[in-house]
Amino acid sequence: MVKKIAIFFGYISFFILALLYFTPKISLYYFAEQELKAFDIVVSSETLVDTGFSLKIQNPTINIKSIESAKIQELDITILGLYNSVNISNIGLSSTAKSFLPLNIEYVNITHTIVDPLHINAQVKGEFGEAKAVVNILDRNLSIVLLPSKLMKEKYANTLRNLKKSENGEFVYAKTF
Amino acid sequence: MQKLSNSKLISIVFTLLILVVIAKALSLGLWWYLPSDGVELNVKNNYQPKYQRVYCKNIITKAKIQQKKKEIVQAPTDGISITNMLLKGLYGTSSRAFVIVAMKDSPKKTKLVGLGEVFKGYTLKSTTKDSAIFEKGSKDYILTLEQTKSKRRARSTKKEDSFITPAFTADEPVGVSRRDIAHYAKNPKQIWRDISIKELRDGKKILGFKVTKIKRNSKFAQLGLQKGDLIIKANNVKLVSYKDALDIYSKIDKIDMIQIVVMRDNQEVELVYDIN
Repeated sequence: MVKKIAIFFGYISFFILALLYFTPKISLYYFAEQELKAFDIVVSSETLVDTGFSLKIQNPTINIKSIESAKIQELDITILGLYNSVNISNIGLSSTAKSFLPLNIEYVNITHTIVDPLHINAQVKGEFGEAKAVVNILDRNLSIVLLPSKLMKEKYANTLRNLKKSENGEFVYAKTF
Repeated sequence: MQKLSNSKLISIVFTLLILVVIAKALSLGLWWYLPSDGVELNVKNNYQPKYQRVYCKNIITKAKIQQKKKEIVQAPTDGISITNMLLKGLYGTSSRAFVIVAMKDSPKKTKLVGLGEVFKGYTLKSTTKDSAIFEKGSKDYILTLEQTKSKRRARSTKKEDSFITPAFTADEPVGVSRRDIAHYAKNPKQIWRDISIKELRDGKKILGFKVTKIKRNSKFAQLGLQKGDLIIKANNVKLVSYKDALDIYSKIDKIDMIQIVVMRDNQEVELVYDIN
């Protein structure tokens, strides 16, 4: 009996993996683009590569309200159901943001796993320092803990004033949506 | 009898193949339903001639000074100088115009002069919105409407009296310091404390950016902006997207003058600022 259940789960896992592999990821990406357009967000100039279990988006430019807001070197989306991740590397923000924060971000890693299904976690590192963000899906809130770099503290003190400073030198931002 | 195949293994492989086929069929169904093309950025470049400001007032003033000099020279020979004339009224179009003129010593004794007609030796050549151009001896003389002169005098007096000099007209640009611009760029919260601007749409199309709130005595109020103003143009570029507005902002370090056209009480008002 146990053997039969194990074989059944094996078949189900195989089917899910096959389905994920054959899923038209590029078409799904186009669908996501259309959904984003409703919010005036357009991703342009990108090259799409379907690698089987993930979708690589190379050199995309993010435009918000037709304003070029960021250039990304590579964006990797992996959706396996049990483990989902979005890894973004080398982000260059638009020069219009230079008054608020440093423009280069090294990476952004966003993950969601079945182990912690109610939270989406993100880690960001860049010229501004390091940040950890957590989205609570159930409570619908976002909290960001920022450990600013020397550059951020020296040149962008005004931006940091918008965040709450904790005792250990970190800056906290929380928002409910 | 020897078994040539493992029926159990074949069964597993066959089941897996069926699962692969079902997965592929489902993905094909999904592919059929999903869009085949992405969204491309479609930016309509707002090409407009570069904004250039020409101080016609200065040109006219210079021309007037030159003419006055000539008139002074001519005056003794003719007996009647154009400086002794008054322009009381202007009628008609540029092709068919009439002016009412009088002499300063007898202002009530007026005469209607049409284009090409002669008054005291001066031939009416053409008219503008507030002046008449006479010709005498192949030289042009401009006679300005009396009301315009008095209005200008009144306006300049009013400006001197007021504490804040608002940039109501394009006549005299108001100065904006780069230090203030840099201050606002570093403190965006301060901008939204002083002014609130929201796009005004007609369906999906942006008509302009409306000033919904302005703090009294703030820098923005001093610049002549008022609550309810709809900003439609900046430096001759129609503001029909956020990109148009941001393009101006991104070039602010390179420009010395900014011209804004606002709709106020259904009338276009031009505000001009010198960036120094």
